[in-house]
Amino acid sequence: MNIIKNQKNQTNSEKRELLFTFQTIIVAGLLAFTAIAFFFYNHLTVVKGIKVIFAPFLSVVPLLFILSILRDLRKGFIEGNYTQKEMVKFGLLTLAITIGFTGITFLLSKINALEILLAGIIAVLSTVFFLRSKIKDILGMSIVTGIAEGIIIYMIFLF
Amino acid sequence: MNQKNLNIAFFVTTGISVLVFIYLVFLGYDEIKTFKDVIKIIASILFPIPILFFVRLIVIENFMPENTEAYKVENQKPATLFLAITVIVVIIILQILELVTLKKLEDTLILAHLINSTTISSYVFNFLLYNNLKANGVLSGVLMALAIHIFFLSA
Repeated sequence: MNIIKNQKNQTNSEKRELLFTFQTIIVAGLLAFTAIAFFFYNHLTVVKGIKVIFAPFLSVVPLLFILSILRDLRKGFIEGNYTQKEMVKFGLLTLAITIGFTGITFLLSKINALEILLAGIIAVLSTVFFLRSKIKDILGMSIVTGIAEGIIIYMIFLF
Repeated sequence: MNQKNLNIAFFVTTGISVLVFIYLVFLGYDEIKTFKDVIKIIASILFPIPILFFVRLIVIENFMPENTEAYKVENQKPATLFLAITVIVVIIILQILELVTLKKLEDTLILAHLINSTTISSYVFNFLLYNNLKANGVLSGVLMALAIHIFFLSA
């Protein structure tokens, strides 16, 4: 009951931020799911074991660097409602990114070595975390939603 | 999120959706052989969730009207009308689709799963956060049509 009460006291921008965080968690889960699915289904081989350990660092290191030097790019979520024009704009953006990410997931499925797949997935994950921490805005939300939907649509219709 | 508002209609609708889901899984039981089919079903269940989060983020202003008698009376007629129209329209669409593609809905179970999960998530979402009776009518209508189609019309 306490949790429900706390939620009522939150401002809209805090609620939006919470939703955004949930969305990034979903995307992270989906990416992990994609990696596991492709790994088992495409019978990926591990060519050189040591490469698997180093693959994630390829994108994690630049991410940490960027996060440490960059200030917040957006002011954060607004309190009131979005205008109709903004809704249409970001809806279309989400649609475009969904289509784009269906293609990117298709490309990921063509990879036949685990270390390259891992590098690709971690790169996407780093992008998502970058959006999460620096672009706290509806722009970030629409990109993250697009990524999630792209992966799901690929899984449903093309996998 | 007012827990008191969860009434019997909500539970019945959710129950029907779960029933449809279980039926669909049983129907496709022979087809679920590989890991791939399981992934497809999970993906089709997850499909609506990011969209709903996105919608909630954009339209966060709480539209939940007071669930008063006046509000109910005002929306009774349009909501019932929407329910009836949606049931008929969706059943007709499903029948036409089956005729045109010469396939039963049962052969494309993923589509049925997709309709089911999208509808029920939107229904729960609408019920808990917005309580828009007209949308409620449309979503219940889609679910009813799907249930009628699966259980009675395509035996």
